[in-house]
Amino acid sequence: MLLATAAMGTRFELTLAAGRSHDLRAAGEAALEEIAIWHRRLSRFAPDSLVSHLNREAHHRAVPLDAETFALFDDALSVWRASNGAFDIACAPLVTASGFAPSATSAESGPEPQRIPSPDTRMRARPSPRSARSTSDAIELDRTRWTVKFTKPGVSLDLGAIGKGHALDCAAAVLVAHGVTSALLHGGTSSVVTIGAPPGADGWRVALAGNWDVGVLTLVNSAMAISHTDSQRSASGASHIVDPRVGGARGPAASAVGAPRVVVTGPSARLADAWATALAVMGQIPDTLPAGYQARFENGHAT
Amino acid sequence: MSDGQPSRRDFMIQAAGALTAYAVVPDLAGATSPVPTPPLKVGLIGAGRQGRAIVAELQKMAGVELCAVCDTVAGRLDAMLGRVKGAEGFADHRALLGQRPDVAALVVATPTHLHRAIVDDALGAGRHVYCESPLASTVDDCRAIAAAASRATTVCQAGFQGRSNPTYKRAQTLVRSELRDLVSIEARSHRKTSWRFPSSDPSLERLVNWRLDPDVSTGLAGEVAAQQLDVAHWFSGTYPVRIEGRGEIRHHKDGRTVPDTIDLQLRWADGLALQYHATLANSYGAQTETFYGVNGTIRLAWTHGWLFKEPDAPTQGWEVYATRQQHFNSEGIVLIANATQLAAQGDLKAGIGLPHPSLYYALEDFVRSATTGAPVACSAEEGARASIIGILANQAVIGRAPVDVPVFG
Repeated sequence: MLLATAAMGTRFELTLAAGRSHDLRAAGEAALEEIAIWHRRLSRFAPDSLVSHLNREAHHRAVPLDAETFALFDDALSVWRASNGAFDIACAPLVTASGFAPSATSAESGPEPQRIPSPDTRMRARPSPRSARSTSDAIELDRTRWTVKFTKPGVSLDLGAIGKGHALDCAAAVLVAHGVTSALLHGGTSSVVTIGAPPGADGWRVALAGNWDVGVLTLVNSAMAISHTDSQRSASGASHIVDPRVGGARGPAASAVGAPRVVVTGPSARLADAWATALAVMGQIPDTLPAGYQARFENGHAT
Repeated sequence: MSDGQPSRRDFMIQAAGALTAYAVVPDLAGATSPVPTPPLKVGLIGAGRQGRAIVAELQKMAGVELCAVCDTVAGRLDAMLGRVKGAEGFADHRALLGQRPDVAALVVATPTHLHRAIVDDALGAGRHVYCESPLASTVDDCRAIAAAASRATTVCQAGFQGRSNPTYKRAQTLVRSELRDLVSIEARSHRKTSWRFPSSDPSLERLVNWRLDPDVSTGLAGEVAAQQLDVAHWFSGTYPVRIEGRGEIRHHKDGRTVPDTIDLQLRWADGLALQYHATLANSYGAQTETFYGVNGTIRLAWTHGWLFKEPDAPTQGWEVYATRQQHFNSEGIVLIANATQLAAQGDLKAGIGLPHPSLYYALEDFVRSATTGAPVACSAEEGARASIIGILANQAVIGRAPVDVPVFG
């Protein structure tokens, strides 16, 4: 059974392999609703999202979070630390400066405004690299109260590089809770999470387009994320991946068309997503990649 | 301007913004989060999908503390307690009322047919109550809740969100000032879903999928349309006198008897008619209400709203600078939130769409009423009437015969 929804600027699909049809569809729809919930919460372009609320309020007070959102922030900050700042959810000003506009795609959220800036607007809005910098060191998580607060001015969140994976992890958890034992979920084909294996197979086989040392990955109860700089570019040609360490789209992976692509596999789509972006910026695989996660660059490239 | 002095153009835009605020801007003046001291302690009864959405909005409000969660289904209760820091769990709302006298306010988000007993008990125990819409699944229960609220000394707000939504509040004034006479109304709700919820425990199937149980469900007319139809009641200031309807199972042929697609026609005493369509088989267009008037049209989509002027309608000075969006061949003036401030910043376009979902504003109004004594945004009586309209509309669908609406006293 195939179910799909439009969210986070792309198409999410669920392939459910086994079960009674009514129950399976209901479980799949609950998983799609989970994706829609996170679409509504994590969009930084929708003014009524949680992220927009935090971008307004967390400068002034500690805002309570639910468990899932707190865990998302906790993971995001752990990758920020482990990647030495190559992955950073406080990068919204940089992404905006690169000219990226919201997608009109939404998950049952009704009409969504398109604010695609004109070229001259982009030129005016683009700050100098240094003035655009805001980093996750200004995001303060309180583990006893499950709150988040920004401790420096200028912080603005963009969870675009971790949101798809998070939504997929949450959707997969919903499926498992309702007894689904075999499923593949993906967001835009670049983020994947699997439950079990297809009937009669040893795992979900995912083919990688391009020149990889392993052309087909076999996933069982695991996730995958692929990130590369050519997947999305703004109208001005800027990469959607920015290097927060230098304040713009100028890291090794963002510097040129044809920069190496990287795929990350591991237990969590959320972490795989975040690390795929981090490694694309870093251009190498650091020792701090968590246990249980593997990464490889296309053409075996790693500097 | 580099010298800090406003240019003539800036001045005109700001002035236009101020006028726009007067004419088409939602009233956000009172929309900042109330900050009660000490915090208002709130309990949630019903930890399903709507309960989760309610928690997400309550967590945004400074001065609100979610202290207790109640659900009869252990799995749902555990899941919610895992999400919320510091809340105490209860399997029975009476235990919550007895053991947590400090919880001053309750939000009721259980299946509709279970509302009455819980609201009765909560109001009887001296608690403030926000009851999700519709209030009940039978006319008797709706009237009983309204009667209990009228006896209570505490707040009882019905969860018809349009009455709290800043865009809708401004649109309500525009219907009279800009549209002049109403010609007709259209509303629709399009979603693609089976409306079936997964249940890993077969013994819970009926409880979980109560919307598909014709013994207790009021169908799309009661559960979905009633919320939108109440906007028409509120804007017109009156209720329809007659409802026609029909329903079909167009897509989800899984043994259900509750239609997945309905059409309604509601008629007012003065001849005004509302056409309503809802389906669970197609998601195009989502949920909108459109009010057609002699001088223009207002289209509402919960966080967004537009005013379309007729070419022969009088033009106001502020319209030159209003933010507009193209809808096919028509240009709509966007109902902008907080436009006065945004215009002063020269960034009116940034205000497209409300800063919170509609549910937030309804809950915020409830918190304000519970803590300050401000009038409720939607009283139990208004909620009962809107719920009864939905129930009667469902009867028209099921019975395939027109239903007359009683005159509400």
